[in-house]
Amino acid sequence: MDTYLGIDVGSISTNLAVINEERKVLVWEYLLTGGKPIEAVQKGLKEIENKLPSGTEIKGVSSTGSARHLTGILVGADTVKSEIIAHAVAASHLIPEVKTIFEIGGQDSKIIIVRDGVVVDFAMNTICAAGTGSFLDHQAQRLGVPIEEFGDLALQAKAPTRIAGRCTVFAESDMIHKQQTGHVTENIVAGLCQALVRNYLNNVGKGKEILPPTVFQGGVAANKGMKTAFEEELGYEVIVPEYYHVMGAIGAAMLAQETIVETKKTKFKGFEVSEVDYKTRSFECTGCPNLCEVIEVLMNGEVISRWGDRCGKWEVLEK
Amino acid sequence: MAIRVGIIRALLYYRLYPFWKTFFNSLGIEVIVSGKTTKKLLKKGLKYAPDEACLSIKVAFGHVKDLMDKVDYLFLPRLVSLERGTYICPKFIGFPDMIRSAFDNLSPLIDTSFNLRKRPSNLFFPMYRIGRIFKKSPLFIYRAYKRALEEESKYLSSLQKGILLPEVLSSWEERRTLRSSNPKGNLCIALVGHPYNLYDSFVNLNIIKKLEDLGARVVTPEMVSPLEIKKEADKIPQEVYWSLGREIVGASLYLLESKSIDGLIHLGSFGCGPDSFLRELIADRARKHPEIAYLSLILDEHTGEAGVVTRLEAFIDLIERRKKRSIRLSY
Repeated sequence: MDTYLGIDVGSISTNLAVINEERKVLVWEYLLTGGKPIEAVQKGLKEIENKLPSGTEIKGVSSTGSARHLTGILVGADTVKSEIIAHAVAASHLIPEVKTIFEIGGQDSKIIIVRDGVVVDFAMNTICAAGTGSFLDHQAQRLGVPIEEFGDLALQAKAPTRIAGRCTVFAESDMIHKQQTGHVTENIVAGLCQALVRNYLNNVGKGKEILPPTVFQGGVAANKGMKTAFEEELGYEVIVPEYYHVMGAIGAAMLAQETIVETKKTKFKGFEVSEVDYKTRSFECTGCPNLCEVIEVLMNGEVISRWGDRCGKWEVLEK
Repeated sequence: MAIRVGIIRALLYYRLYPFWKTFFNSLGIEVIVSGKTTKKLLKKGLKYAPDEACLSIKVAFGHVKDLMDKVDYLFLPRLVSLERGTYICPKFIGFPDMIRSAFDNLSPLIDTSFNLRKRPSNLFFPMYRIGRIFKKSPLFIYRAYKRALEEESKYLSSLQKGILLPEVLSSWEERRTLRSSNPKGNLCIALVGHPYNLYDSFVNLNIIKKLEDLGARVVTPEMVSPLEIKKEADKIPQEVYWSLGREIVGASLYLLESKSIDGLIHLGSFGCGPDSFLRELIADRARKHPEIAYLSLILDEHTGEAGVVTRLEAFIDLIERRKKRSIRLSY
């Protein structure tokens, strides 16, 4: 069987997905990056290899997410694309009539506007990370609510507390204040979801034409409180797809398939990659006052790639 | 030894350098330019610049610091207005004062005011005042002024040849013929913004090269003729009275209407008042051209490379995928 592998390495989670020629998801894997993208990719590959039925051939690989370039070098990706395109491709395949995509991940959030199956506009959160997974995680911890129960708890709220969601720092102090004045936890949790949704729509979604069908994906889509808050604010149902948390990887797999149509032959280094000793190291180049931070990737102790320099003098590897 | 006058490689350097340099050199004065913007230079600027200033002013502070011990005079003209009816940004107007209050032991500043809002033909008067600082005769100053004007008009007309400003400027400086870069990209991306953001490759994280590496040919407002810019800018119901802002809007509208571009990127700097208006105005006009993709990027001293790269890659992908609709997103 011919299949395609997509790898999405984000700040919080590393996701892998394998699709067949018909773009059906065969297996997927979701694991935490834990600040170690190389190990996460290697572990993920091992898991995927174990899950795949024997006789499956990987015909193409693509990487996406914030560690896409690094991952691309590790596995020998056929194409390396930004997560915006990957998410859009996956969503518009699974929900062909989609017009708006909300994607909220661990450290960033995006909005993607799609018309007739083509991305026409997008935006990402800028300096502010309010409303992303990490912030919700942190607040859940502070309130003593396991993140898995956060959404269900929010749904129980009778009168959501109004919380200032303009900025995470203010949101937190506002939440503490509301707790101290006697608001119950479920109302605060629901209020927080509403605040984050308002923040998202006003910042990331500013000036964008948000139309149904709207798909909500990324790790935060697991939170039913957020889905409900979006629906209340927009006045229509928001779709959370089955594979909401690995959509980037699925999209990447589809991009790999597209690429192979043109290039025919994959550059995939095989699942053995999970056994290879990869390391990265960095140094500050003192060649000029720019003091660029140069990153080196080493395979079995040998430098295979470098980047990070503005002038490009380190990018060329000496043989 | 010749007197040395320092010009900062910041703010309106990218436009006015040939004019200033020719003028000073014709008076027999040596011109020293600050180095290119680097991390170190910006750091120095941040130390002295007011927090509320925009990124471009902070960068300019770094350039002053870089120059101040190497020259006899620092040339920081007070640019109020350079053409009829429009103004230069207020931060430019106050720049010499900001510098005076921030640094001790400054070389004497030449902060002659240029206010041509009512009579653009009055340009000679401030030039005359500058010339008199060096005790030059009126005729001598007038000749230098004429020569500067000639060089400037040559420079400005070279900018219309579709070649990016950094090449035009260095060919002018090195007195060599213009090398036409071979635009190999299939996509044409208009990059609009203030020249000190567009052409300072440190500040903008080398955006032009990044776009070229992604297969795009880049066009900028300097390539659009002033006549077209005026024609388009006049269509805006509320007059844009910042000189550069007017130019950015006029050029953007012209490029959008010309249908010659696939995408438009507005590059603004954080803390820039005019940019915050221009961004919205251009976005509004760009929406009327759904076939042209629009992206707004905001730069500040904390701008991370990753964010810019992701946005640019996605932007180019978006355009490419739209172009080859045969391979649709969904089968």
